[in-house]
Amino acid sequence: MALIQIAEPGQSTAPHQHRLAVGIDLGTTNSLVATVRSGKANTLTDQEGRAILPSVVHYADDKTIVVGHKARELAVSDPHNTIVSVKRLMGRAAKDLKVLAEHMPYQFAEHDSVVPRIKTAGGEVSAVEVSAEILKSLKDRAEKTLGGDLTGAVITVPAYFDDAQRQATKDAARLAGLNVLRLLNEPTAAAVAYGLDSGEEGVVAIYDLGGGTFDVSILRLNKGVFEVLSTGGDSALGGDDFDLAVAEWLMAEAGITELTATLNRQIISEACRAKEALTNADSVTISLQMNEQSWATELSKIKFNELVDSLISKTLASCRRALRDAGIDKEAINNIVMVGGSTRVPAVRERVAEFFNTEPLVNIDPDEVVAIGASLQADILAGNNQDGDLLLLDVIPLSLGIETMGGLSEKIIHRNTPIPVARAQDFTTYKDGQTALAVHVVQGERELVTDCRSLARFELRGIPPMVAGAARIRVTYQVDADGLLSVSSLEESSGVEAAVTVKPSYGLSDNEIETMLRDSMDHAQEDLQARKLREEQVEADRVLVAIEAALLADGDRLLEADERRLIDQSRTQLAEVRQTGKAEEIKQAVKNLEKTCDAYIARRMNQSIHEAMAGHKIDEYTTNKDAE
Amino acid sequence: MSDLFSKNYFEIFNLPVGFDLDVEQLSVVYRDLQKEIHPDRFANAGEQQSRLAVQMTSLVNQAFDTLKSPVTRAHYLLQLAGLDIDHEQDTTIDPMFLMEQIELREEIESLRFNKDALAEVERLLKYVKDLMAVVMLEFSQAYQQQSFDKAHELSRKMQFLNKNIQELDDVAVAIEDELLG
Repeated sequence: MALIQIAEPGQSTAPHQHRLAVGIDLGTTNSLVATVRSGKANTLTDQEGRAILPSVVHYADDKTIVVGHKARELAVSDPHNTIVSVKRLMGRAAKDLKVLAEHMPYQFAEHDSVVPRIKTAGGEVSAVEVSAEILKSLKDRAEKTLGGDLTGAVITVPAYFDDAQRQATKDAARLAGLNVLRLLNEPTAAAVAYGLDSGEEGVVAIYDLGGGTFDVSILRLNKGVFEVLSTGGDSALGGDDFDLAVAEWLMAEAGITELTATLNRQIISEACRAKEALTNADSVTISLQMNEQSWATELSKIKFNELVDSLISKTLASCRRALRDAGIDKEAINNIVMVGGSTRVPAVRERVAEFFNTEPLVNIDPDEVVAIGASLQADILAGNNQDGDLLLLDVIPLSLGIETMGGLSEKIIHRNTPIPVARAQDFTTYKDGQTALAVHVVQGERELVTDCRSLARFELRGIPPMVAGAARIRVTYQVDADGLLSVSSLEESSGVEAAVTVKPSYGLSDNEIETMLRDSMDHAQEDLQARKLREEQVEADRVLVAIEAALLADGDRLLEADERRLIDQSRTQLAEVRQTGKAEEIKQAVKNLEKTCDAYIARRMNQSIHEAMAGHKIDEYTTNKDAE
Repeated sequence: MSDLFSKNYFEIFNLPVGFDLDVEQLSVVYRDLQKEIHPDRFANAGEQQSRLAVQMTSLVNQAFDTLKSPVTRAHYLLQLAGLDIDHEQDTTIDPMFLMEQIELREEIESLRFNKDALAEVERLLKYVKDLMAVVMLEFSQAYQQQSFDKAHELSRKMQFLNKNIQELDDVAVAIEDELLG
């Protein structure tokens, strides 16, 4: 049961105030922002009326940063300082670059940081910072168009993104000053865009081929609940690879063996243009400028299809795997939704239709469908759509495991388990007096740790000294609704909470983010303080409003007079501190109120569960007799 | 009205404790529960409420996941019955069954890189699934009669068979990948 928000007299939160919330599709090639206005979801356009913002950022030596169309125009003439397809680098480590950056014209800085940094005329930048620039640009567009500050945003990520890639996306949003309501998987967002329009029921497959990633998800739609049954894909396969396949063919045809950065860009741009032209033509002319000479060739659709055939096959292999994981036959799929600009390639549509034996749905613009779905979810999460019955139940895309003896990965949470999810695991010491323990968390399906992605290493410290094997350390892995992992631990025989320090293997540390935040502000210290204060005030308001609504609804029914008095005291105290206090004091008062309300909140949740279950009592006896 | 965290997995879904259950019915209750407790329902309700929602949803998800599959459901029932089943070595298992397992595994491995074996894989898959259905029936009876040692052995058999099914699925996917390039 979502809480109804009612403002206290004299407070600023009006009861029917529409909160400005947006959905953002942060894509490899293009990004978009959408919002719901008067019940209708639409993308927001720039001043020239364009919805698409190319995911390109240019850094000039005078420190100016240009994002979007203007930046894209600079990609050929100034390739080193124009960052394209940065999404491919999100959550990646410097050591991943060998494979990833093979075709990227950038120079990477030698650095202590595990996160790769690109050298530009405007200084060194990380993928998170580049993405933050794209997000900032979309945030500005939305705030100008909607005329106010955004309450929050739903940002989409490929379903196949691992923990590090998701965390990097969230960090970029934080850097851009966006409050992330939720990280939403792109295919799920697309399903929402279609499902809400048609009120569809049944099983759908979402085929999402973007610029740099491929995702497939199998979902069951039932009375507004979107339940992801399985998801699969390849976080390094997309339309860019189609361009590369054409580019490699071009180089062979033109006999090019040595590449300058400029020529590389030019070839890739031409390849991309040819791919797009072949959507509506049987053949296309490609010309290149080399050493002041021009060279031209023809590319037929047949040849193009041949070049990309194995790439499409790879996507279909992922589809088969997702179907097996969902335990669903191809025949049981009611609809296929096509998402991503690369699904415009006719060969893709044909082979997907052939594979599923159904014509795919393409009536929503494949470039916009993800942003639109995200905006519908944002509208609900912001509290604008109280009677919206929409609920998205997602899964973890890749198994989580820990390293055991012999470098093997022991799976703790299997892929396609519904999230949020928590799993506990018990460890013990193997030496007398041992006070610390090291754990290595990895993500992936393979047996060997070296074949999986390392997510984090952490140390449990402060275990009381005991004989070997006597300690019982329970480590709990919690994956939240965004698919992000957190770890906590407890030594059970002594009740000592062993401290967990998670060192992200690829991500940015909190310190690095703080530094970036500080660097990005003009008057660092005051701004940071003011920002913290505002954040705490917002949280205080949120808690006050939520508690008041709760008390109005069932405070009399669920609380004893004593309990009620204590809660009211804490509320009054928080309301006072919120007006005059410092950030830290407000934070403390919020904590205090929350502590007072602990039992009450739990009681309310149990009550609503109890009510939901009451409806099932009768069915139970009629249907339980049947075995499956 | 009792606390969610003090309930067993069956109680969470208002189902009687037992092996035979209607997965469709379980899914319906699961979705209705999620509508009440999923963290997205509390996006504006402050951190405390969100935390509790995450914990409750995690528990419900774990319960759903456990009960949905007969193999984990059987395992959980034995745990509820108080069997110490984390030390698997103690169980005896019918030697005939184990012999057949060894043969089955060898056969599955030999099919892995054989492009023409898809029909054979599907045949084996059906064979193992039929076997599983029989073992499930036996488990259900043994459990009802409270013959927990027998039930334990049968649950071990289910685990073996489940592993066979997963491996056969993997092999089938690998062969399909080969075939379709």
